[in-house]
Amino acid sequence: MTIRSQMRKWKSNLGWGVAWFGTALVLFGLFHLLWTVLSKGITSFRWDMLTTVTHGVAGGLQNAILGTFELILISTVIAAPLGILGGVYVSEFAHTKVASVIRFLTEVLSGVPSIVIGYFGYLLMVLNWGWGFSALAGGIALTIIMLPYILRTTESSLQQVPLAQREGAWALGMTRFQAISRVVWRPAAGGIATGVLMAVAIGMGETAPLLYTAGWSSLNPTWHLTGHQVGYLTYVVWTYIEQPYPEAHALAYSAAFLLLVIILVIHLVVRILVKRATVAAK
Amino acid sequence: MSQSISVENLRAWYGDHLTLKGITMELEANRATAIIGPSGCGKSTFIRCLNRLHETIPHGRVSGSIKLGDEDLYRMDPVDVRRVVGMVFQKANPFPTMSIFENVALGLRIGGVRSKAEIIERVEKSLRMAALWDEVKDRLREPATALSGGQQQRLCIARALAIEPEVLLMDEPTSALDPGSTLRVEELVQALKSSYTIVIVTHNMQQAARVADKTAFFLNGELIEYADTAIIFTKPSDKRTEDYVTGRFG
Repeated sequence: MTIRSQMRKWKSNLGWGVAWFGTALVLFGLFHLLWTVLSKGITSFRWDMLTTVTHGVAGGLQNAILGTFELILISTVIAAPLGILGGVYVSEFAHTKVASVIRFLTEVLSGVPSIVIGYFGYLLMVLNWGWGFSALAGGIALTIIMLPYILRTTESSLQQVPLAQREGAWALGMTRFQAISRVVWRPAAGGIATGVLMAVAIGMGETAPLLYTAGWSSLNPTWHLTGHQVGYLTYVVWTYIEQPYPEAHALAYSAAFLLLVIILVIHLVVRILVKRATVAAK
Repeated sequence: MSQSISVENLRAWYGDHLTLKGITMELEANRATAIIGPSGCGKSTFIRCLNRLHETIPHGRVSGSIKLGDEDLYRMDPVDVRRVVGMVFQKANPFPTMSIFENVALGLRIGGVRSKAEIIERVEKSLRMAALWDEVKDRLREPATALSGGQQQRLCIARALAIEPEVLLMDEPTSALDPGSTLRVEELVQALKSSYTIVIVTHNMQQAARVADKTAFFLNGELIEYADTAIIFTKPSDKRTEDYVTGRFG
């Protein structure tokens, strides 16, 4: 009796110990990363980086910041409507079998390594279609990354709206489309917006799909969609950290710091949206 | 003017499972008809066939005919059917992100009413018919979810009445309500039946006795007995009806 209870206690302690150790390991990695980026980022960041462009390995980040925004704008403009409409289709209109095929394909798509998407974009858009390294090629490569994410979050947000809401709308003589456009989307809107914003955050942090498609430019982006290369923040992080110059490191850490801040802000907005959506649902 | 509904040999399936096994009955205009029977007897399925909601369920299937007046509901567009056959559900389902006013007005807007004055007038009329106006007239802009459960159910009744249907289907409308709210909904049914054909599914036999002119007893997907309510509850002709209404099973 006592031996058994001692054994049980010992096993319980062991279990807790392993769990704590695992948690500590994860947190250590996270905090070390944050600490490195923040401490080196804050000390190397200068406000004039926001207003000057890159010169060789020194200068500022304005071109990369504007380029990132241009790429995200292009990809969001394409991915958000496609992803949301696709999610609505899968959730509300598609036959069960068609829906499961689309769901499977989006899972496959989101599992494709991002460098493969970059290379695919390079072969198709940069070379075959003759767009060259360009904002449009980069934006479409990011679209492919963001699309499955937006589609899935839209679908799952709509699926969470109770059937009673749909039946209430149908019973008033609404068509399926009216039921969605007038009633069902509203409780799901917070979730859908969250999905789009998370996709934006994911897109901002991507490097691999852009390496083969967007190129790099130390000039501010123009509104030429094709034929002109465009700079972006993750490129600075990826390339300049390997240069043997302190100015290059300063740029790389500042770019990482900026990305971290922007993505943090996006996550805060998402949290507020989710909170408001859950309050509304109650 | 409301019209009667004649149901002929109505069968309904969920996949391969036959839930309604050939129902034939006449639901009279300007009367309240109660459908009673134990759980799983097909009473909800039956009224969900009357506004063609049953077929929205995956693998839901229907055969037979249902006529409203001279028109065969199963030859009409289901969207048009649901504009003349309104429904109130077991659990109040107001649209949670909309105001009280908007919940009632939406059906009108969908139906093509553009005039603001007309919408305001008809929303008020519907809320009055649902005996909710006095409680909400000063807070029409508040979210529908701010109302109590009983008020929400009356809001759903107002929402269904706003589009001026001829038939009102009620699927256990008071099963989630407290006795006070239940009483108010029952009074409402009494008041509304002079102008609508009302079909009310209920688990509560006292409720059927209180509100319905005629009562139908369903068992295992079949219509066992259909007669004046007083007869069903005092001298039913079928043994199974008698066993059910006297509480021997169900």
